[in-house]
Amino acid sequence: MDIHVDYARCEGHGLCEEVASSLFRLDDEGELVTLFDGERVPEGYEDDAMRAVRACPVSALRAQ
Amino acid sequence: MTTLAPSTDLDFYSEEVILNPYDTYRRLRDTAPAVWLERYQVWAVTRYDDVYAALHDHRTFASGYGVALNDPLNEKMKGSALVSDPPYHDHVRGVMGGPLTPRALRKHHDYFQERADALIDHLLELGRFDGVRDFAQIFPLSVVPDLLGWPAEGREHFLDWASAGFQALGPMNERALRDLPTLKGMWEYMAEIVRPGRLAPGSWGAALVEAAEKGEVDKQLLPALIGDYLVPSLDTTVSALSTMLWQLGENPDQWRMVREDPSLIPNVLNESIRYEAPIRALSRYVTEDTEIGGIPLARGSRALMVYASANRDERHWKDPDTFDVTRSNANTHVGFGHGIHGCVGQGLARLEGHSLLNALVRKVARIEVGQPTWRVHNTIRAMTTLPVEFSA
Repeated sequence: MDIHVDYARCEGHGLCEEVASSLFRLDDEGELVTLFDGERVPEGYEDDAMRAVRACPVSALRAQ
Repeated sequence: MTTLAPSTDLDFYSEEVILNPYDTYRRLRDTAPAVWLERYQVWAVTRYDDVYAALHDHRTFASGYGVALNDPLNEKMKGSALVSDPPYHDHVRGVMGGPLTPRALRKHHDYFQERADALIDHLLELGRFDGVRDFAQIFPLSVVPDLLGWPAEGREHFLDWASAGFQALGPMNERALRDLPTLKGMWEYMAEIVRPGRLAPGSWGAALVEAAEKGEVDKQLLPALIGDYLVPSLDTTVSALSTMLWQLGENPDQWRMVREDPSLIPNVLNESIRYEAPIRALSRYVTEDTEIGGIPLARGSRALMVYASANRDERHWKDPDTFDVTRSNANTHVGFGHGIHGCVGQGLARLEGHSLLNALVRKVARIEVGQPTWRVHNTIRAMTTLPVEFSA
């Protein structure tokens, strides 16, 4: 599963971090950082990734 | 097989339904995924999953044709972030929403906390006060207009303007018609306030006026965009903060838990917005034939997203009618809407709510509340008064 972050839409609300802290983090500047290489979600983390996609309040995350 | 569309002559905007909405919402949810409201010529979408899915399908359920239940307001608001579709929407939301993102708001955290601490100290001195006028209205009426750069004059109109703006987002019924002159007065004032130099230098409002001077946004739209900042920041936040205080007072055991574990603070605000969604419902325009849970919706029809019902849907929530600050999925509420039109000020609302809760946790041991009185309003679920007593 791939997760695409639309950085133009991301406003840094941090709900992805709340529901999937192993995959997403807001850095000290409030910018979203993904904790995986490229867009490929590590095996076993697909459910967390989907939770983050659903939680994003502004549709900045897309699963592919 | 043809499915006959469920239809009802229920008056969704009657005083009775507005004051006691939740039984009606449950009946609508149990009737069908989409129910045609004959009086208002709109589909009521009331179940959580359906509301969520429609909000995330902004092509089929568009905002650019308006989100109100009447044509004059839909026409008037065109070009605002609320009443637009991509790609234009993304541009205008980026320009006006920039200062409202949580990352941009970080630099204001200390300022909000100082103001929150001072407010709670003041309320503790008073002891008894009104939870709406003296607590919930203070930040929306002072801090936000300060950041917007609004001058001292004109602020006395804010609450009336916000109320009128949201009345008009419902149907053009007697309530909305009664408030129409107020709304016209607001538009005239907005046209005046966006003249260069009127909004304080360095403010959000001044930045927007500068963006228009540089041609990044259409000057004609400035009044609507300033309105986009101001109007939705008032009644909605007042509603959420009133509910929060009311329910913390009603549930002293939960207040004790929050004081012992302040990491619950974000959830307190989420649960308050879930429990009494500040905005009852907004609509979308159906751009192509579609269906919701097997009910066909024709292109050109309108669908009402009933946030306040989705937030109480027993298909999504356990014990939906219970206020519970430990609810594990409280952050999935749709009280801010959801998707590309998700409330642009939600970061600001959280900052206001969290700052106030943070001050309350440190300073207020007991919150006692009396019976609230409720407003009869087309769009906003809100109290008029709430007797409160604080003790340290």
